[in-house]
Amino acid sequence: MKGYMGKILKVDLTTGDIRQENIPDEVYENFLSGVGLGVYYLHKHIPAGADPMGPENILGILSGLLTNTGSLMTGRWMAVCKSPLTGGWGDANCGGTLSPAIKQCGVDGIFFTGISPKPVYLYMDKEGAELRDASHLWGKDAVEAEEILQEECKTNKKPKVAVIGPAGEKLSLIAGIVNDAGRISARSGVGAVMGSKRLKAVVLQGSGKTGIADSAGMSAYSKEVATKVKNANLPKFFKGFLLPYMGMLMAKQKKVVAMDGMLAAMINKKFGTIAVNTLGMTNGDCPVKNWQGSVVDFKKRQYKKLNPDRILARETKKYHCASCVIGCGGMCDIRDVRDGRYAHTHKPEYETCSSFGCLLLNDDLEAIFYINEMLNRAGMDTISAGNAVAFAIECFENGILTEEDTGGLRLKWGNAEAVIALLEKMINREEGIGDILADGVKGAAERIGKGAERFAVHVGGQAPGMHDPKLDPLLGIHFSDPTPGRHTIGGAVYYNTMYLWKEVSWAPPVKKHPKSEEYIPSDREALKSIATTYYKMLTDGAGGCFFAMILGVDHWNLFKMLNLATGWNLSAEEYMGIGRRIQTARQLFNLKHGVDPRDFIIAGRIKGDPPLTGGPLKGITLAIEDMVRLTWKNCGWDENTGVPEDALIQELHLSELTE
Amino acid sequence: MKIRVYAAPFCSFEDIDEDGCLDLPEGAVLNDVYKKLKVPFLLRRILFATVNYRRVGLKTRLEEGDVVSFFSALGGG
Repeated sequence: MKGYMGKILKVDLTTGDIRQENIPDEVYENFLSGVGLGVYYLHKHIPAGADPMGPENILGILSGLLTNTGSLMTGRWMAVCKSPLTGGWGDANCGGTLSPAIKQCGVDGIFFTGISPKPVYLYMDKEGAELRDASHLWGKDAVEAEEILQEECKTNKKPKVAVIGPAGEKLSLIAGIVNDAGRISARSGVGAVMGSKRLKAVVLQGSGKTGIADSAGMSAYSKEVATKVKNANLPKFFKGFLLPYMGMLMAKQKKVVAMDGMLAAMINKKFGTIAVNTLGMTNGDCPVKNWQGSVVDFKKRQYKKLNPDRILARETKKYHCASCVIGCGGMCDIRDVRDGRYAHTHKPEYETCSSFGCLLLNDDLEAIFYINEMLNRAGMDTISAGNAVAFAIECFENGILTEEDTGGLRLKWGNAEAVIALLEKMINREEGIGDILADGVKGAAERIGKGAERFAVHVGGQAPGMHDPKLDPLLGIHFSDPTPGRHTIGGAVYYNTMYLWKEVSWAPPVKKHPKSEEYIPSDREALKSIATTYYKMLTDGAGGCFFAMILGVDHWNLFKMLNLATGWNLSAEEYMGIGRRIQTARQLFNLKHGVDPRDFIIAGRIKGDPPLTGGPLKGITLAIEDMVRLTWKNCGWDENTGVPEDALIQELHLSELTE
Repeated sequence: MKIRVYAAPFCSFEDIDEDGCLDLPEGAVLNDVYKKLKVPFLLRRILFATVNYRRVGLKTRLEEGDVVSFFSALGGG
């Protein structure tokens, strides 16, 4: 009755052996569930040097400690593995309706090892689990495969499905795992690992409940949160055309103050993440032209075509993930788009609009809708795919790639036709350019040679999220995380809404201060980053949503919900100690697997080397090495190498993982 | 009475206490918050500020524990 099931399912795909394993309480007390349980388990069981695409790698699919407990906005699931993209710790998470189904089947997570001799899927319900033949599904896209499985495994209700598309089957290192017909756990190459195991899908048909310590208390708190979010709405007059002006105000803002996180809920309720499409153009958040341009290169007449109002005009239905009261998701009608191949698609996220919009100087919104569905079905990460296309265009522009290399495609900025044709080659891993780009820009640059690496924008092998840290230097520290390039970890703009300092004594309070201070490496900025990271580790251990996290502890208090679920009655600072343990374990995982943390520090264009020559972030180069050094020092890691100090390992009881 | 205020960067923070609250006399209205925060007079009618996340008029009477929030831009995605 503590919010977790206390069990995992272990599946050896080589032998077909399936068994449940009890997990001691102290593991949850030290790591929570979700990403925490994931790093604990993978650290212990993946040997150093294991091939990420080999049988020794383990793919974990986990729910969160607060998922299915009556708490709100805690319905995300996590995929964890050794990343084939970075060679280190890999994680990705996603919303939709899958996460509760894991616990409804009686376990907190499912861990796959080995490689199946033939394509299979795992079916699980409360009676048990079995591997079933997936030959008839191999080659199907993620949406088709999910529909077939839901029909095939239907009982009194449709099961929940996590599935790979052709990208994962073909071992594209930028493949993800798809659920709910097009939502995707996209990052770290988790879909490639699933494909390497010949595991097409996981089908969950559970209905079990999750006991918690104080269900009445949780119910009362959830009502309180829901009422606040329900009442928080932007006024009707607030339309998308106003967003660029907001961005301009942000760019001119010289002072920073703590803000009300509920405003994020108001924006997300109305627009979803696409609010940033145009707002981010005028404040500099959006990377332009493969991170070398600005609003000077992608002008108003272009970016206004990505106005969220134009996207909402196609929205036929809004939807909420499991236990969510914000509801930033939506379905869009695209029957009249291009060749009419797709009837509908999930409302494209900002990341997709940006990676196939300003990053490529493409203002063809219909093409973005089309690409969104194409990649969701393929199970390919839109951030990494857009990044790879931008890289290829720049290589083409500089004569490193020619029409002979691209199969006749003229790769020009803003040429949506060529982009779609190139993506088809990547999804199908067509010999030549498609095969090369399907593994992301780092591997592509190595294969192409001829100096192509100077156009490959990545952090430790992974494409960065579509947010420029030169606007928000704290984001640069978060990009330099053990899972490099992940965009939804934190940033100053989020720290300023979270009010962690009200609960955690060492978290620096945000008092009105000059924005310029954020650019100066300091212990204060480092501690802000660390507090956000530890809280994010707790959020990912609980199955929480980033958009709930940034509501702040005034409106969505994770510490309180964890106590209501577990009955542990820990203080906020004790919980932050758990966050610290998870973060340190992720770093130790990387070190075990030979990753040098210094290789995960953002460099080149991302940090402003060379600096942009136009736009609101013109001339900025981040002192990121010093920022990261101070962050490591304040984490208790060696400030020069990023290696956690022995004393910290003892303090966090992580010796078990380092022996 | 205590009013929780999430102020904007252009506001004066002099009267906001450590808990983010303003102390106002009983019967105070939204316009009194603006005055305390030294919001320029011309801005008051066009600003987007809410009381308990509802947009209301300047003469709206406040009550103990009300939340006054100024709209600020946030990103994400």
